[in-house]
Amino acid sequence: MKATIAQYYPGDSLLHRLDPRAKFIAVSALAVALFVRDSFAGLVVYAAAAALAYALSGVPLVWFWRAFRPLLWLVALTFVAQVIFAPGEPFFSYGFVHLSWRGLELAAFLSLRLVVLVLVGSVLTLTTPSIALTDGLAWLGRPLRRLRVPTDELALMVTIALRFIPTLLVELDTIMRAQRARGADFRRGGLRERSRSLVPVLVPLFVLSFRRADELALAMEARCYRPGAARTRLHPLRAGWADAALLVATAAVIAAGLLV
Amino acid sequence: MSSSPDETAPLFDISGLHYRYVGAQADALADLDLEVQEGEFVALVGANGSGKSTLARLLGGLERPAAARHAVACGHDLLTETGRLAARRDVGVLFQNPENQLVAQCVEDDVAFGLENLAWPAADIRRRVDEMLARFGLEGLRRREPHLLSGGQKQRTALAGVIALPRRVLVLDEPTAMLDPAGRDEVLEAVRELRDEGLAIVYITQEMDETAGADRVIALERGTEAYAGDAAGLFADVALVRRLGLGLPAAGELGLALAERGRGFRGLPLTMGELLDALAGAP
Amino acid sequence: MSGREAAGGAAPDTPGRAAADGMVLTCRDVSFSYEEARAPIPALRDVSFELGAGGSLALMGASGSGKSTLLQVVRGLDAPEAGAVLLDGAGLADARYGALQREVGLVFQAPELQLFAATARDDVAFGPRRLGWPEEQVTPAVDDALDLVGLPAARFAARHPYTLSGGEQRRLALAGVLAMRPRLLLLDEPFVSLDPSTRRQLAGILERLKAAGVTLLLATHDADLAWALCDELLVLREGRVVAAGAWDFSPAAGRLLAVNRLREPFLVDLWRRLGRDPQRAPRTAAEAAEALA
Repeated sequence: MKATIAQYYPGDSLLHRLDPRAKFIAVSALAVALFVRDSFAGLVVYAAAAALAYALSGVPLVWFWRAFRPLLWLVALTFVAQVIFAPGEPFFSYGFVHLSWRGLELAAFLSLRLVVLVLVGSVLTLTTPSIALTDGLAWLGRPLRRLRVPTDELALMVTIALRFIPTLLVELDTIMRAQRARGADFRRGGLRERSRSLVPVLVPLFVLSFRRADELALAMEARCYRPGAARTRLHPLRAGWADAALLVATAAVIAAGLLV
Repeated sequence: MSSSPDETAPLFDISGLHYRYVGAQADALADLDLEVQEGEFVALVGANGSGKSTLARLLGGLERPAAARHAVACGHDLLTETGRLAARRDVGVLFQNPENQLVAQCVEDDVAFGLENLAWPAADIRRRVDEMLARFGLEGLRRREPHLLSGGQKQRTALAGVIALPRRVLVLDEPTAMLDPAGRDEVLEAVRELRDEGLAIVYITQEMDETAGADRVIALERGTEAYAGDAAGLFADVALVRRLGLGLPAAGELGLALAERGRGFRGLPLTMGELLDALAGAP
Repeated sequence: MSGREAAGGAAPDTPGRAAADGMVLTCRDVSFSYEEARAPIPALRDVSFELGAGGSLALMGASGSGKSTLLQVVRGLDAPEAGAVLLDGAGLADARYGALQREVGLVFQAPELQLFAATARDDVAFGPRRLGWPEEQVTPAVDDALDLVGLPAARFAARHPYTLSGGEQRRLALAGVLAMRPRLLLLDEPFVSLDPSTRRQLAGILERLKAAGVTLLLATHDADLAWALCDELLVLREGRVVAAGAWDFSPAAGRLLAVNRLREPFLVDLWRRLGRDPQRAPRTAAEAAEALA
């Protein structure tokens, strides 16, 4: 069973080879600009930049569709809400539905903005393995160490958690089946009954996870892991000219969108 | 990287080791002595509750002994915190559950984990990881995620990760207990190769047939030593073998059953060949 | 056989069941595939066999050959996409099928993972209570089951499952299934990760169930345990049946076992080497010792 959050598509494109820190900064800055800028023209500039980035990544379009599909309802809802309730001179009315050009324009703008946001985020997650992303975020969060925030340990925790998600899902399925074989029924009854029927599934999962945490910590210590100690990486983060160029290009795009 | 100046010093030099779990009625380990030399293959056998796993953790510097006359592992004093931390570098420990030893999201990254902890430079890590993947047959699984590996593959990955840090001795705590026969063979083969290369090994198991080829066998019973000597000596003592409650191969089970019916043996047979000889030779 | 055809809530009456009480299991061209993103993965293909009442069948094959899938389909956790599973001759459409399915017990691999209750009694009682049995019937069922697995109620019923040893937990999980008084018991690799002493105890428990007439279907890698406990054999390879029926030790069968990475049982091999008829080899070490002494 393929169950991955932040789905990564392996490849060797320009975008795959960029440093995750640069990508994260670029994506964050672009996301902020998206929400600050209120004009269609600016939005079109950002949309074009995002589409270009996606094209450069070499990832098939279907992967974007997979990331976007769960949000389709949100986009549709936004569109419809704006069309119905936006202010402006209606050119068509029926009951409380007032269609105005202004409303249509607003609806299109907000929907398109959401699409671009997901597109930009997808470029990041599809071209960056989660471990590289967490490493990058840990590095960016370095200043927080002065506030006693254990950023490196948190990054490792996230990596380990992601590693065990598919395993836990399989174990969850197995335990559910085992209890079903004993007559448990998870689909029956209202909210209260269903919540209670999950106890024979959640308790074993918790116990299993605690035991796992104990054993894993021991195995990590046996391989000389020490929280707080400096660690190197098999895949170290190496920023280069291309990354600087990305940041410059992003700044240019943002500026262009603001000025148009 | 040896930290002991004297090359002939034992890898484990332990005397009077004591350990008791918090709130427990009895000692998990009581007055235990252990000595392991370079290149030795020592089998440590015992039933559940005999103290085997506790000993494995203590040998690896992962647990603080309650008391000992002396407890030295690869030249490090296990009674001190710094000694234990240093011992973790020289003593490798492989545990029973393959799933709960893998930390990273793919095989290659997991094998690198220990070396990253030692702050090796990236290029050296890369070289050593490639070496380990090749020698444990994991080349084709380099980027594979752990949940897509078989039990045997997971355990080999864990072993590669443990050996990636060059070790002076390897302690294996029932490494095949949770594996299917195919996985068991894979891991036993890998251990045999390490043994052939001269790595000292302490192999902990409940299954007698996994002690084949051991230089010495130590049997634990409720935290104390019940036997220490060569394998033949242990198998000759049928009463002891029965009392220890170990897993016997089919030949051994039959031998035990025959002994109960008065059939005498010079030593409990472990293989078909030994059994046939015993049946032919006995009066 | 009163009580068995009653509405789903009633427990079968007598705790000490009479012999030949076991269920008849028939699989006819059972096929099943797992749904995957791109293409379905066939896990079972045209699996057909019959297991008589009180019979014992060893289900063998390499990892991934479909053993676990078959057990779960027989238990009804998954519906076959083709073919049929018949319990006592009744198919899915039969009115009795639901009640019959409740008399099929399935013990998963590492079943101790499913323990969740605060006391051993509550955990074992989970199944019978889910079946709708009144407490007066649940209590004796739980007591009997605990007794059968060697965890007498007087000493173990009030214990917290997590304070038990690994072997005790495995037996407790088995009790949880036995308390539902199954007439067909399916076991998925029950001996894996067990210490030697518990392995022997478990073999003894299964012997007793067999003697009581329960039909057994045991998936295992262990040729010697299969030989000791089961009269018949079913070998799967990539979801297909490659051998089914009574144990056969002709050379052709030997090649089949080898191809599927299965050993011949030790005692069979021994009998052959001693010049005796392998077909008549003893099942257990004790029997063999008797024959040789």
